[in-house]
Amino acid sequence: MSSDQDHLKETETEARFEFKKEESSAFEAEKGLTEETIRVISEDKDEPEWMLERRLRALKQFRQMPMPDDWPGAPDLSEVDVDEIVPYIRPDIETRGGAENWEDLPDEIQDTFDKLGIPEAEKNALSGVGAQYESEIVYQNMQEQWEEKGVIFCDMDQAVQEHEEILKEHFMTKNVPASDNKFAALHGAIWSGGSFVYVPENVTVQMPVQAYFRMNSDGMGQFEHTLIVAEENSEVHYIEGCSAPKYSEFNLHSGGVEVFVGEGAHVQYSTVQNWSKNTYNLNTKRAIVEKDGTMEWVSGSMGSKATMLYPSSVLKGPGATDNHITIAFAGENQNIDTGAKVYHNAPNTKSTIESKSISKDGGRTNYRGLVHIADGAENSSTSVECDALMFDNESTSDTMPYMEIQESKVDVAHEATVGKIGDEDVFYLQSRGLDDDDAKQMIVAGFIEPITEELPIEYAVELNRLIELEMEGSLG
Amino acid sequence: MSTQVHASVDESTVRQLSEELGEPEWLLETRLDALDALEDLDFPDVIQTPGRLWTDLADLDYDSLVDPLGAAEEKDQVGPDGVEVLSFTEAVDEHEALIRERFGSVIDPQTNYLTALSTALFSTGTVVYVPERVDAEDVKVRTTMNSRSLFNYTLVVAEESSSVRLLERQETGEDVDGDRYYSGLVEVAAGENAYVQYGSLQNLDQTTYNYQLKEGVADTYGQVDFIDCNAGSRLSKSSVETHLRGDGSETKIVGAFYGHEDQHFDIDARVWHRNENTTADLVTRGVIDDESRSVYEGVQDVGRDAWNTSSYQRENTLMLSDESEADASPKLIINNHDTEASHSATVGQVDESDMFYMGSRAIPERTAKNMLVEGFYVPVLEEIAVDELRDDFERLVRDRLDSRD
Repeated sequence: MSSDQDHLKETETEARFEFKKEESSAFEAEKGLTEETIRVISEDKDEPEWMLERRLRALKQFRQMPMPDDWPGAPDLSEVDVDEIVPYIRPDIETRGGAENWEDLPDEIQDTFDKLGIPEAEKNALSGVGAQYESEIVYQNMQEQWEEKGVIFCDMDQAVQEHEEILKEHFMTKNVPASDNKFAALHGAIWSGGSFVYVPENVTVQMPVQAYFRMNSDGMGQFEHTLIVAEENSEVHYIEGCSAPKYSEFNLHSGGVEVFVGEGAHVQYSTVQNWSKNTYNLNTKRAIVEKDGTMEWVSGSMGSKATMLYPSSVLKGPGATDNHITIAFAGENQNIDTGAKVYHNAPNTKSTIESKSISKDGGRTNYRGLVHIADGAENSSTSVECDALMFDNESTSDTMPYMEIQESKVDVAHEATVGKIGDEDVFYLQSRGLDDDDAKQMIVAGFIEPITEELPIEYAVELNRLIELEMEGSLG
Repeated sequence: MSTQVHASVDESTVRQLSEELGEPEWLLETRLDALDALEDLDFPDVIQTPGRLWTDLADLDYDSLVDPLGAAEEKDQVGPDGVEVLSFTEAVDEHEALIRERFGSVIDPQTNYLTALSTALFSTGTVVYVPERVDAEDVKVRTTMNSRSLFNYTLVVAEESSSVRLLERQETGEDVDGDRYYSGLVEVAAGENAYVQYGSLQNLDQTTYNYQLKEGVADTYGQVDFIDCNAGSRLSKSSVETHLRGDGSETKIVGAFYGHEDQHFDIDARVWHRNENTTADLVTRGVIDDESRSVYEGVQDVGRDAWNTSSYQRENTLMLSDESEADASPKLIINNHDTEASHSATVGQVDESDMFYMGSRAIPERTAKNMLVEGFYVPVLEEIAVDELRDDFERLVRDRLDSRD
């Protein structure tokens, strides 16, 4: 590890996520969800009429739609009572749309992100950073060279004001409409914050841009929206990180992510999710991929009480490609229900899904995936690989793939394995002088390597540290 | 739940049916309970994903399909000495205690709407009883259905250290106006160290809607193997399930289907590992041609107490036409970490490099393709112990391949 990454060694990962700050805010919505709440939020954001209308329409859909609780083995969502959630908290900051200097932020917010290591990472490895605290982006900055090339990286509220035409066309219309599922509808009604990324034709953003989402208050809901538009032959890597301190009440995170991958464009979307273990994490993420475009979803789900997350790609243009790499780690009382969804709607499209899951101390992981190959999507191929590692007999690991093939000229393969951590592997490592804990950690690190090698070194190290933390002291 | 069959079925129908068969009171009660339960029961589980219901069983017009008092069939029930192969009515007369103990012990009659309907209305069936330490080869049950609807029941009991290999097949005989409905429930109980291979060959005509549920229970060191071959019917929902209850018990569930024209096959293979040291191997191979459609669901469920489990599942579908559609969902549900489990599923066409190789050997394209399709079934055919099943399924495949345009 080079000296550049020394700060990673020095920071105590656990302490970095578990601290709490006094709750202080400029504006806090009432608990619960009414038309009035939504009008107030929209007004506080000074939104155009069409956005308010979309919010209100989404609210109506939310009320009509059923909870996704009748799926086989679905996480228990009975505790999720939207009327108990504080949907909107605007932190007490001067600058709407996010400050450009960390120093301009109030001390406790600045301190939060310092502890999370965000400004440090920005210096070393990123093209741009957005940081969200409660419901609003508080910091947003991008290196000038990208701005000059026409790249936009701003918070969504600002985008609604300044890039209204793009948003009107792309915001929760053809990608993730509010009618998609109950929590997409909820998101459509009360979304706040998030990032808008626009990459013009033929521009390659060399270093990743990152957004970091932090929930600090008890019983709040965070509903940020991310919209990425990558024009022809452009390239961008977007990383999101999430965390919150643990409170007694439940928190709800229901993000919406829409990605438009233009012809020949390449977008990678990486997530390292470490919500506190009282958070329900129910997201809808989707990409529409045009001709010869490539979408890559890399997700590490470590935190939360229950996660339901199935990033999807619609391969709309011929030659479009999708890659999914997901890792789920479920410890005590965690139910991590993740997977992937790919629609092959054009010829010569290709998808690969690689899923790794680890369950221990009574945790439950579930891979739930759908691959659909439409009639006419000739010469398409898909390969799905799921591997699960189980630590003990209290844990559960489910694999539920669904394949729908309406075209004959295809190559479809699905494979899955489940097993316990190999006694022989542990024995071998012990014979090399490692103790039991270290041996198991090393095996797990090897098991998830396909994921970590897709991430910049900072995040790979972070992910490994988080897994080590999860495993510490609990191995027997 | 709607009540589709109330126009043609009521309590008096069931009483009349039971009386004509001269049944004891407890059996009539079981039938009436099933009839009563219809209103509250759901149709068998079918997979639904956003925008796609894989099979629609609720859509059938059961009222016009079901004609319980008009059942007509021809049945052969043959077996070697030492094993009892009886019609259900004979079995109730001769072994009432056994039937009373075993009937409904593997399949709860009220599992779903269609099992309850079948329990209330079945008029024919077979009981195969294999006493301790008896080995029985070549038990055959052949049913030819001659009526609009037929509800069939089969019970196979293999006592300790016995073994039996049997074939049960269904065909249609005389034509009837309109569509038909066949329903079959099969219960298999393998005692300690017993072995059962239950093979079935379903070749009903293509006006017939077919529902079959076959479930087996394996006791300590017992083994239940199923071979489920489907070629006929307009629409089939065929579920095969094994409950591995005994320590060291085993199962193989082997499936083969060949769909053409507008046939729809919904095939399930499920295994429940419920004790230590159990092993399951699920292998299904299917071909779909023309506008036919196949749905496959495989479940390997490993319970909390199923230490040292081995469980494998493979499913392969071969698509011969561009209008055919294949859905597949192989599932793993693992609650014990001391498990080695895997599954795989593929969908594709006849392999191009195989075709090229055959071409280089001067085999005409049509012949080459037919040979490769026949070869595709070999891993399934190899498992079959009853010659009649293997030979007849092979012939069905060949005939269907020869009749392709």
